[in-house]
Amino acid sequence: MKFKEIVESPCGIRCLFDELGLQSGYARKVLLDREMMTDSGRIDAAYATLRRFFDLVVTDRRSVEDMRFRLQGLRDISGTLSSLAEGATLDEIEFFEIKHMALLAESLAMGTDLDAVIGILDPDGLRIGTFYLYDSYSVELRRLRAAVEQDPDDGGLQEQLAVEEDRLKKVISDKLRPYARGLLQTLREMAELDISLALAVQMNVEGLSIPTSGQETEITGMFHPGVRAALKAKGRDFQPVDFSFRRGVPATVIGANMGGKTVALKTLCMMQYLYQFGFALPAASAVMTPFDDIRFCIGDEQNEKTGLSSFAAEMQRIDQAVAAVEKGGRVLLLVDEPARTTNPVEGTALVAALLERLADRPNLALVMTTHYTVAHDGQCWRVRGLLPGTKGRTMDYRLVKTTSHEVPHEALNIARELGIDPRWIDLADTIMKRQYE
Amino acid sequence: MPFVGEILKHKSVSIVGLAKNAGKTECLNYIIKRLPLGWFNVAVTSIGIDGETTDQVTGTVKPEITVREGMFFATSEKHFRQKRPLSELYAVSDEDTALGRVVTAKALQEGKVLLSGPSGAAALKRWMRSLNDFGIDLILIDGALSRLSTASPAVSEAMVLSTGAAYSANIRELVGKTAFVVELIRLPLYVGPEPGIRVSSFSSLDAADLKGNRVIEVEGALTDRLLQKVRQGLGEEETELVVGDFTKVFCSQELYRAFVRRGGRISVRMKSELLAVCVNPVAPNGIVLDSDTLCRELSQRIGLPVYDIVKNDYEI
Repeated sequence: MKFKEIVESPCGIRCLFDELGLQSGYARKVLLDREMMTDSGRIDAAYATLRRFFDLVVTDRRSVEDMRFRLQGLRDISGTLSSLAEGATLDEIEFFEIKHMALLAESLAMGTDLDAVIGILDPDGLRIGTFYLYDSYSVELRRLRAAVEQDPDDGGLQEQLAVEEDRLKKVISDKLRPYARGLLQTLREMAELDISLALAVQMNVEGLSIPTSGQETEITGMFHPGVRAALKAKGRDFQPVDFSFRRGVPATVIGANMGGKTVALKTLCMMQYLYQFGFALPAASAVMTPFDDIRFCIGDEQNEKTGLSSFAAEMQRIDQAVAAVEKGGRVLLLVDEPARTTNPVEGTALVAALLERLADRPNLALVMTTHYTVAHDGQCWRVRGLLPGTKGRTMDYRLVKTTSHEVPHEALNIARELGIDPRWIDLADTIMKRQYE
Repeated sequence: MPFVGEILKHKSVSIVGLAKNAGKTECLNYIIKRLPLGWFNVAVTSIGIDGETTDQVTGTVKPEITVREGMFFATSEKHFRQKRPLSELYAVSDEDTALGRVVTAKALQEGKVLLSGPSGAAALKRWMRSLNDFGIDLILIDGALSRLSTASPAVSEAMVLSTGAAYSANIRELVGKTAFVVELIRLPLYVGPEPGIRVSSFSSLDAADLKGNRVIEVEGALTDRLLQKVRQGLGEEETELVVGDFTKVFCSQELYRAFVRRGGRISVRMKSELLAVCVNPVAPNGIVLDSDTLCRELSQRIGLPVYDIVKNDYEI
């Protein structure tokens, strides 16, 4: 799975990508092409690198900004370098690109053999980032140029000059060829540097953290950066949430509407992707564990082109996820309010059955939000919900573990907080209890 | 050596032709030939070239610009590879155009180039900013009427207009049409309190909404349709329309005149300085107008000197 395949995920990871201050279009391309990691050793190594750059951002902001300014000059010349490696003869524009890149790498103290490369493209030792076929490349070139300047209309001389220039392009290309692979490597490393610096700066600005790898997932103080930014614009704060889950133990999240269940699930999904791409996490601290397959099933995916209803689209998506679980491998399955668009009787049955169908799977970590009351052997989390005595205006979005799987009846509580006729609300409570018994 | 001294007072100058073959390229070559390059760094670019060396409509050869030793120029990769004097490469842009990326180079000897620089005002501005590193004193932009936006004061400080028989083969009509463009370029800067209402040509503006507003800010283009609506809502007396700059005025001469005659006013937020008007009395279809009459009549009408630089070949 490449980063570009998940950047539009409904979890909203795009908000972090958009705010990532990459200096070059090439780094952006390299990042979008990056493969997701599934091995915790590799992920930890990526975080060790990020930690180093983060420390640099904190201790030496000036040199970080200097490097980032230089990286604005990074261009994708991988095509030029590849064709050089494969035996092509390059022209002035391509020599200029290579020289420009080599000087950039040198200024960033990266790469090897740069002296040799720059030497080939800078025969006069000027160490400036411009290029043309310098007179000093050959005595013949100098002689012909002088002759053409004397007699610009002599077609024969011009022809000779063109032949000599072509010969020199071939000579220079041949001299550069042994360094082509190394330059490709350096080019790539510069893109990675751009990415690492951007990630480290973002980590500092957004207050993100580096997780540790473990067997279970345990997160404290997580937040959704996109939602937090939207709230901040309205002068409100995002309330951080704690959560944990592990493979083999399904977890459900219940709670009132507007209680932040879906946001919590989106954040979990985003955190998992960020972790497996080695990016800092929107949480105070986290222990994370990698999965081979991450599935996020969220409603409202009505597909107008195929004419599928939102229910059909959702069922198919969950069906594919179930097949993935059957296939084996470590699967993280995040499901947001399955079957919510159908009637409560069948909806409850579908959710209960899904939990049973996926019970006792040591390869599966399942987190599901739901409106329905379904009992199961796993963990149940509940949104704390309305803060009493606040006239229904303030919600406590934190999640707490609960043993009761019954969905909270917040509608009646909200009505009570609002001071609605108590005899009416009490009656509703009585009728509801009678129905459940 | 008319008007070159004026050009040197500015950081960026657009040369805009009112029609194809109106003499814009001769005008640019005239200026380049006379610039005091020894102590002055000049960069030249063009906008709106469609990639052919021969003009496909008229079959005339598409002109090339002669750059002098030491001048910077911007052109596409394709045109750079096709034709140029010995030049030192200074930059290759990150942006791709139909003709490849934009290359910025310094001519090491005099010679002809095909100019095809950044296309579009935004890309042009980015290129102009990127020149800061090279110590450029003056940027010349070979503009095109179809891309009049390059002459916008948001892009270049000043402009030279070239017009000619290719624009209209009748002296009276040519003078009238050119004078109208000049009039728009010289629209006065708006002075006064913030206008009470903003309209855009796209909105479903209801003429009745304008009641009670004498000054109206126009966002985007001022079109005939919009001008009509304003007239319906307010009449013309003492109504002032404020537009971004003259390149945003797209209304017809007739409607504009009718609006102004009855007391309406149009003013701008930003103003270009018009440095000179050049004429080419020869049209590609063979029509030749009398150069002296054309220069005299146009000059009288607009109150600015008008030059036929080909015929007179002013001293260097």
